[in-house]
Amino acid sequence: MKLQCVSLWLLGTILMLCSVDNHGLRRCLISTDMDHIEESFQEIKRAIQAKDTFPNVTILSTLETLQIIKPLDVCCVTKNLLAFYVDRVFKDHQEPNPKILRKISSIANSFLYMQKTLRQCQEQRQCHCRQEATNVTRVIHDNYDQLEVHSAAVKSLGELDIFLAWIAKNHEVMSSA
Amino acid sequence: MLPRLVVLLAAFLSRRLGSDAHGTELPSPPSVWFEAEFFHHILHWTPIPNQSESTCYEVALLRYGIGPWNSISNCSHALSYDLTAVTLDLYRSNGYRARVRAVDGSRHSNWTITNTRFSVDEVTLTVGSVKLEIHNGFILGKIQPPRPKMAPANDTYESIFSHFREYEIAIRKVPGNFTFTHKKVKHENFSLLTSGEVGEFCVQVKPSVTSRTNKGMWSKEECISLTRQYFTVTNVIIFFAFVLLLSGALAYCLALQLYVRRRKKLPRVLLFKKPNAFIFISQRPSPETQDTIHPLDEEAFLKVSPELRNSDLHGSTDSGFGSTKPSLQTEEPQFLLPDPHPQADRTLGNGEPPELGDSCSSGSSNSTDSGICLQEPSLSPSTGPTWEQQVGSDSRGQDDSGIGLVQNSEGQAGDTQGGSALGHDSPPEPEVPAEQDPTAVVFRGYLRQTRCAEEKATKTGCLEEELPLTGDLGPKFRGCLDDEAGLHPPALAKGYLKQDPLEMTLASSGAPTEQWNQPTEEWSLLALSNCSDLGTSDWSFAHDLAPLGCVAAPGGLLGSFNSDLVTLPLISSLHSSE
Repeated sequence: MKLQCVSLWLLGTILMLCSVDNHGLRRCLISTDMDHIEESFQEIKRAIQAKDTFPNVTILSTLETLQIIKPLDVCCVTKNLLAFYVDRVFKDHQEPNPKILRKISSIANSFLYMQKTLRQCQEQRQCHCRQEATNVTRVIHDNYDQLEVHSAAVKSLGELDIFLAWIAKNHEVMSSA
Repeated sequence: MLPRLVVLLAAFLSRRLGSDAHGTELPSPPSVWFEAEFFHHILHWTPIPNQSESTCYEVALLRYGIGPWNSISNCSHALSYDLTAVTLDLYRSNGYRARVRAVDGSRHSNWTITNTRFSVDEVTLTVGSVKLEIHNGFILGKIQPPRPKMAPANDTYESIFSHFREYEIAIRKVPGNFTFTHKKVKHENFSLLTSGEVGEFCVQVKPSVTSRTNKGMWSKEECISLTRQYFTVTNVIIFFAFVLLLSGALAYCLALQLYVRRRKKLPRVLLFKKPNAFIFISQRPSPETQDTIHPLDEEAFLKVSPELRNSDLHGSTDSGFGSTKPSLQTEEPQFLLPDPHPQADRTLGNGEPPELGDSCSSGSSNSTDSGICLQEPSLSPSTGPTWEQQVGSDSRGQDDSGIGLVQNSEGQAGDTQGGSALGHDSPPEPEVPAEQDPTAVVFRGYLRQTRCAEEKATKTGCLEEELPLTGDLGPKFRGCLDDEAGLHPPALAKGYLKQDPLEMTLASSGAPTEQWNQPTEEWSLLALSNCSDLGTSDWSFAHDLAPLGCVAAPGGLLGSFNSDLVTLPLISSLHSSE
């Protein structure tokens, strides 16, 4: 009887943790309309990426950095990258074309909304940044610094599809409602 | 002079510089882009202006973020190049960048780089094939994803685009070229409801992935014809079920009819033996007559000629069926009818012209009755009416003995005596008519013994005469009676016919029926009065006739009228009780 009770208690705890963990993330980003961001990017992708004159240099995909991130670090990395784009990339980019500027602005607004929902989840649940997540964030910032600011900003905007694809992959359930 | 030299030098130098610039500077392709499908990545570029035949293009590829440019083709004269083989990991990497430059001899142009990073997003989604089937009025479609040869084994369309695959289907009916019906399905298998329409339907499919911005390409049109299915499984089953039901019902009705109409057997108690016609007639009861057994008159038998004994007539033990055998005609009569008043009879008999002929003897085959011989009236005087006399004498209440006596020649008078003895009670009487009447009438078949067996002189005379109730006219009356009696039997007799010579004369008159009817009726009355009312004083002749033979058979007259003589055996008719 006691053994059965203990085993049942353990099983229930595990299930609850798993569901909480997944459900929290899913719930945090479930309301984001990734399709809108992707569509906006596709319209400016040609213009933005044409300005990138350094094809052999990458900021986000150095040594497959995003590919090796573990699920536990996804929440931290997502949070850091969203801050990177909002705080550095969108501010450093100078877009003369108004149509392209409108699309970039809509993408930036969507990133801001994603940051807000993620901050709420972070307050309710633990979104701790481990060392690995911190290392990945630092590499990205270093890559961004090696280039000239305008070129780096343009390159970072050009790599938005990589970032959006990474978010859709790690948060598959919520990528499209 | 000097200005002219300066101008020439400047022109020469400018021309030289121009040629150098033209040689080193080669225009680069204006644009380079990828046109890619699932594992079919083709790099396209636009040619340089004023390209010569020696102009070719160099293609280089770079993996985004990694390493130097890799030259793929040194000199390509085409305006496209297939880079599928070197971009197999396109779907798992961040993309590629490619560049192209024109080369003309030693000169080469600047590189032209693709504008965008070549990634998964730039792959146009296509469909491998679409298969259509018709099943129960539905069009079933199966979409086959692309299966390129260069794709690695692990990289399938379904594995790369694992989720949110969608297909848009456009259906059109052949007559209408621009009327499409669109439908979105989320699986590779789909069904279309035709709602009973028949004809040719064409279908096109465009794939897409909802989580991606990849564009889709419409597939090749697939058409299928839909005809009205009459021989579907359901219809065939229903048809056979109906046939079985109908045949079952018919079989049931047929069996029922056969059972109802089967030959039924009557119960044994209800079975009756089919009566023999002859026996039935012979058994017909006579309501008035009684079966009387008349003992045989031995004396009468003794008078039978030995020839006749052995004759066929003797042989016929029945009541006279037999015969009109010519042999009997020549034979002497077997029995003679007794004549109570031989003289009177003789007169009557003599007076009367022998009208009886040997009709029976000659052609007695005319008798239609069974054994009754109707003597055809003939004017042959040779045959005397001896029989008439005899018959008349014997007609006294004598029933039909069943013996037919055929009128014979006169030479057989002796025999007739014996014949006339039939039914005659008084033995001496037969002798008298035998002597008086030389001619004996031998009848064949059945003989009806009339009471008034007197000869009938003339039927007409008898008819005209009233029937007096006096004894003087007894003989005549008898004759008339005989006449009537003779006339009556054929009408009333059903089995035996009275062979009365008077009867024959009447027949020869020419109006047998009418004449017969009258005496028949009268005679019937007389007979009734004679026999049934014996002793009554109504009819004097009845009293006179009483001894004639009425007494003998009280009901005999009626019986004879009813002609139940068939039932009377021969023996019984021989003797008439008095």
